[in-house]
Amino acid sequence: MNNEMHEKRIPIIKIGNFLIVSIQVDMHDKLAIQLQSQILEEIEKTGAKGVLIDISVLEMVDSFIGRMLSGMASMAAIMDAAVVIVGMQPAVAITLVELGLEMPGVDTALNMEKGMEMLERRLEEEDYEL
Amino acid sequence: MSEKNNIDQKKDRIDHIENVLASVAAGDIDARINSDIEDDLSGIEAAIDLLIDDLTDELKQREKMQKEVEDKLVKIQEQQKVIFQQQSDLLELSSPVSKVWDNVLILPVIGTLDSQRTQVMMENLLEKIVETGCTIAILDITGVPTVDTQVANHLLKTVTSARLLGAECIISGISPAIAQTIVHLGIDLSSIKTKATLQDAMIYAMKQNKRSENVKLQSLFTDYDKREE
Amino acid sequence: MLQLTSDNNWKKLGEHHVNSEHDIVSVRQLIRYYAKEMNMGIIDQTRITTAVSELLRNMYNYGGGGEVHVETGLVDEKQTLIVTCIDEGPGIEDLELAMSDGYTSGKGMGYGLPGAKRLVDRFEIKSERNKGTTVRIMKWK
Repeated sequence: MNNEMHEKRIPIIKIGNFLIVSIQVDMHDKLAIQLQSQILEEIEKTGAKGVLIDISVLEMVDSFIGRMLSGMASMAAIMDAAVVIVGMQPAVAITLVELGLEMPGVDTALNMEKGMEMLERRLEEEDYEL
Repeated sequence: MSEKNNIDQKKDRIDHIENVLASVAAGDIDARINSDIEDDLSGIEAAIDLLIDDLTDELKQREKMQKEVEDKLVKIQEQQKVIFQQQSDLLELSSPVSKVWDNVLILPVIGTLDSQRTQVMMENLLEKIVETGCTIAILDITGVPTVDTQVANHLLKTVTSARLLGAECIISGISPAIAQTIVHLGIDLSSIKTKATLQDAMIYAMKQNKRSENVKLQSLFTDYDKREE
Repeated sequence: MLQLTSDNNWKKLGEHHVNSEHDIVSVRQLIRYYAKEMNMGIIDQTRITTAVSELLRNMYNYGGGGEVHVETGLVDEKQTLIVTCIDEGPGIEDLELAMSDGYTSGKGMGYGLPGAKRLVDRFEIKSERNKGTTVRIMKWK
């Protein structure tokens, strides 16, 4: 059982200042919780300023995964890293809204490239303010 | 003797009448008595034949009418199919989403919105956003006379869903009547960007575009500056 | 007590047990498969799959697992996918409260029942103290 979970570990890749996570499997709840702490640990370890979470292949996001993602964004924010959810499918978005999970305060982008631009823009603006 | 013969013959003829009536009752409408003997029974025989003739005519007419009705029914069903097809075609046609500028989609909505049409529209728009990668979508409802609670909620849902995809959805052309309805219904549109006219929405979209381009340019300049140093 | 809608003409598609988190994942994937087989649109497929996921999690967390029956048939003259989740857990004490938005009975599950209800065309629930809970949801094609 434990082994199986380790096999299914979702890889986190670091590029420049950012972490990239691509969720390719239908996650069970424990895996989702595990991913959340894994990402937070990685932020601490690498000092990443942004996290891109690609969910473009996810055909379903229920309230548990939805809450995990928005919780993740708030937690990362207080660790000074911005989270962008990338590539949500239209059917998933409509279902989440109908479920009552509008995920306010979570940044989203249509694709990886736009998500990356968004994070870069945010860093630029922060630099500019200083 | 001849008296007895006569009675037997009459009996046979009455049996024949019975048989014919039985066949007619069983559905053989071509059965007739067709007697060629002339006597006091022949009047009854002729009358029965006539009655059967009338009955046959009526039956044939009824069958004809029934067939006509059935034909008409088939025709109506076919027409209904066409109407359904056209309705769904119209539903698709009535929500054309077009890319009008870099990064900008427009969905002009004309006519009365019902719940189903709004839903189809919403799905089209969201799919088009993902397909084109446009981050700004303008939903222009200048041509919509009125909305009800359900439709207003669908519009709200569209905007929220678009945000989850990573696009901003602006609603333009809200008429006074619709503004009144929305506020009376207690629907909160404050989290949504609304613009008075399509033109205002376009200007806003261009400004948003420029803003992100500026940042891109700025970062190019900083890269350049760094290299110069 | 409320009676669940049922019909002898419904065709049984499958019966599945839910005893682990992995079962939740595999059963919800099966539901999507059934919905796809019925030619349901992509958004409706996602709605029913998500609704089932919510119900299964409730069943696993509060009812100690249970059974899922999947059927198809006519409801109100419409082709319908019917999913019934049955557990033998403690039951829900206050159904009205559990069905209201924002209610949570512990592990941060506020959206479960009312959320699932919003995603389907018909939602029926029957719960008896110490005997268990049965939820039946239906989605037209």
